[in-house]
Amino acid sequence: MGFLVPAFLAGLAAVVVPIVLHLRHRDKDTPHRFPSLMFVERLPIRTAQRRRITDWPLLLLRALAIVLLVLAFARPLWSRPGVTHASAGDRTVIVLLDRSMSMGHTGVWQRAVNEARNAIAGLSATDRVALVLFDEEAEIAQPLTTDRNLAIAALAKAKPGTAGTRYAAGLRAARQIATDARTGMAPVDVVLVTDMQRSGLAGLAGLDIPSTMRVRTVALSPTAPRANASVAVTEARPITSGGRERLAVTAHVTSRSTSAGRPMTAMLRLNGRPSGTRVITTNASGDTKVAFEPAALPAGLVRGEVTIDADSLAADDTARFTLTSNDEVRVLLVAPDDAERDETLYIERALAVGRAPSVRLQRVRPSAIDADELRDIALVLFWDSPLPNGSAGDALRAWTTRGGGLVQLAGRRLARRSTTAAILPASVASFADRSDDRGGSLGDVRIDHPLLQPFRETPAALVAPRFLRHARLEPANGGEIVARFDDGSAAIIERTEGTGRVIELGMPLDARAGDFPLQPAYLPFVRRLVLYATGRAATPLARATGETWLLPAAAREPVVSTPDGSIVRPARDSRATSVPLRTAGIYVLHDGETRGEPVAQLAVNTPPAESDLTAITEAELLAGVRRGDASTMTSEAPPAPADIERQQGLWRIVIGVLVALLILEMLMASRGWRAVANPITTLPSSGEGS
Amino acid sequence: MPTAPASFLDPALLARISDLALLARTVVDGFMHGQHRSMRKGSSTDFAQHRPYQPGDDLRRIDWRLLGRTDRFYMKEFEADTNASVIFALDSSASMDYGSRGVTKYDYGRFLIASLAWLSQAQGDRVGLATFTGDIVDVVPPSVRHLQLLLHTLGRSKATGAGSLATPVQRLAHMTSRAGITVLVTDCYESPEELGRCADALRMRGQDLIIFHVVDAAERDFPFTAAATFEDSESKTRIAVRPDDLRKRYLEQSRSHHAAVAKRLVASGADYVRVDTDQPLDRALHAYLDRRLARSRVR
Repeated sequence: MGFLVPAFLAGLAAVVVPIVLHLRHRDKDTPHRFPSLMFVERLPIRTAQRRRITDWPLLLLRALAIVLLVLAFARPLWSRPGVTHASAGDRTVIVLLDRSMSMGHTGVWQRAVNEARNAIAGLSATDRVALVLFDEEAEIAQPLTTDRNLAIAALAKAKPGTAGTRYAAGLRAARQIATDARTGMAPVDVVLVTDMQRSGLAGLAGLDIPSTMRVRTVALSPTAPRANASVAVTEARPITSGGRERLAVTAHVTSRSTSAGRPMTAMLRLNGRPSGTRVITTNASGDTKVAFEPAALPAGLVRGEVTIDADSLAADDTARFTLTSNDEVRVLLVAPDDAERDETLYIERALAVGRAPSVRLQRVRPSAIDADELRDIALVLFWDSPLPNGSAGDALRAWTTRGGGLVQLAGRRLARRSTTAAILPASVASFADRSDDRGGSLGDVRIDHPLLQPFRETPAALVAPRFLRHARLEPANGGEIVARFDDGSAAIIERTEGTGRVIELGMPLDARAGDFPLQPAYLPFVRRLVLYATGRAATPLARATGETWLLPAAAREPVVSTPDGSIVRPARDSRATSVPLRTAGIYVLHDGETRGEPVAQLAVNTPPAESDLTAITEAELLAGVRRGDASTMTSEAPPAPADIERQQGLWRIVIGVLVALLILEMLMASRGWRAVANPITTLPSSGEGS
Repeated sequence: MPTAPASFLDPALLARISDLALLARTVVDGFMHGQHRSMRKGSSTDFAQHRPYQPGDDLRRIDWRLLGRTDRFYMKEFEADTNASVIFALDSSASMDYGSRGVTKYDYGRFLIASLAWLSQAQGDRVGLATFTGDIVDVVPPSVRHLQLLLHTLGRSKATGAGSLATPVQRLAHMTSRAGITVLVTDCYESPEELGRCADALRMRGQDLIIFHVVDAAERDFPFTAAATFEDSESKTRIAVRPDDLRKRYLEQSRSHHAAVAKRLVASGADYVRVDTDQPLDRALHAYLDRRLARSRVR
């Protein structure tokens, strides 16, 4: 039995009120008129008798009512038998050790390990301890145990990583351990060993932890700001110089809290070979651009890295990037035999523009489609021509199912046909000639669709082109309308076939039937059409730890080798396969086995925010944490006293008993001899009587 | 002696009748039902009125003095003869204005006097009324024609103020010029000796005295249990008491007082009749009739 607000128990002193009132009861009564006190006056009456309590039942009832009222305000609660308080020897301690990249700062990690070891070693033999390592994710290195040696052994294996900091991940893991431990009302001590980096606050606001969880931080960073410099590669552009492919690399060195600018050397390596060196003087605080001389571009997959002079935090002194020297998308343009050359001029020119990836276009006749022709092809564009039937059609469908991109542009030729292939998302209902009303335009477009992603900021660019003649499409085979003309007919319809995408365009892409090729939206639309239909995206130079890598569809049995040497075989689902990027370095994707030529590779660097070593205080860290909210706790979680009191609601029962007592008191005081004696019943005077 | 149905005489029931005349007639009729009417009637010389002479009238009753003043013949007519003059004295002090069971002692006294007056009127007696507290308050001289005036005076009287018997009784004694009956209705909150002296004074004037001692049930039993402050109705004195502790001694005091009063009044030749307000009126009526009958026999 306990009380949520025991301070209210001081109100029990109010019990003296009814006692005093009962002692002084008669003095304040309305006097009882009596014909004559002639006989009473003759009797000796002791004062002591008058001052003593005469109505004990009523006094006890009133005193009990006051006691109950005080108890109700004190919010009583009853501890459950199953969650009794643990004894002093059953302490539960969870050590949260920050292993983010910033912990690799000179001397910090060793101090962190020592602090964690001291926290573990200071426990008694009956105390339970758990060790949680966290960066952007949390890992329970040692579940709760009374064997301190196990925890210390797990601590010895820990080392700082290359990921960012996320305090919320560590605290969530600690909350889960405390919940699973069923410690009940016993407090759980959380020792947070960290360098108190401000960048780790993300996700902490609004985090619920039980009120029994006491968080103590062991701050390792000095109060003074720590200087640090980091490097990031912002551009790696293949150029042709003197008839040779070269690579122009630009990097930025970011200095934080350095006292003054200092000279340092930046070195570029391509595929492990030094390819350039620059000596720079960094700014005291801010970015310094480093442009390397164009270096010879190796063939195939290229790994590059820019390294600056190592400082106290070496993990962010190297920036990696990857690119493919001959990164191109092969597109098959299938044009009808009667198509004139200038009819496809604009599309061919538009496809030729752009790098990373670049497009290699091959124009063929419809009859040339077969399985061999489709090999290494990423996109097939049917220019107002029907899909082939027979074995060519089957090969095309199988190729699409495996991830190929198929686009059919509907024009006047297709409008004359009535057949629709089962793979296509639409049929051509008619061909509209809108020359009389100065042509139509796109009206209703799904600007949030990935195909139209380049136009999210400028949707007006899509409605600017005028189309004098265009096909009217009808969705078929589950096709999804992406855009409509202003007359309501569908302009773009898509569907998926296996892992491939099939897109039907009703809008003409030539300059005869409209002015779309002359509009600014034409080039980004065509490039986006290629990338979206082929499932490709503009390949970034590098990603940061904590992100995921959406593997290209080219690998049918993806196998990824990670920077720490482990092999990951991600499960492929119907849409895409992704790999979490937990370690900085080069991730390499193979198809089937890790030997042989890799399919793709990806550079992963430390998150830029992790290089900012600005520290915060414990109060700032825990400012956004909410305590004792029962809604966030599982049914087995140890509830806070406030939650127990709220669930039990004993004060309601006490108030109910109090009301019953007051009713009983009212009845007792107004019935029976009490009512006769006080107040007095007087009869009307003689004049008002008979 | 046959008794009347109690329902006709229940004080609580009578308290619902606001008209004292009706009340008195109800009581007396109910009480007299079955009583034998054996009262003797005497003669009276009380002047009633004059009337013009008529041939054949008795010349002895011509008012010669009036003939001398007016030169006309008027006949003197007299009231019918009565046997006694009865004056009812009602204690109107504040102590009488107390009732614990539906009817106050004052109401009870008024019912009693109204009934007795009606009864006396029926017997041919002259009836008068005196109400008093520390002194005489209202007086209705005895007459065979004053019953309605008596009832009216009785109806509007109120019990208030401090009371004392000595002065009003002395004055009452001086007011009674001939022998008669004095009916004193009081709660006897006087010393027995003082009451005895009052009785002696009236007896010295040749009055037959009947004292009705009106007692409330609460005065008789002192049923209170809770501690409380009691206030004297007349002196306003307040005393905090615990009735449980005092009851026994109070009752002893009360009984001792009543016995002493009765003894002293009887010694003075008065009739002492104690009436409790929770008892029917017939006991008081019987006591009165017995006394009235005894007086008739003496004559």
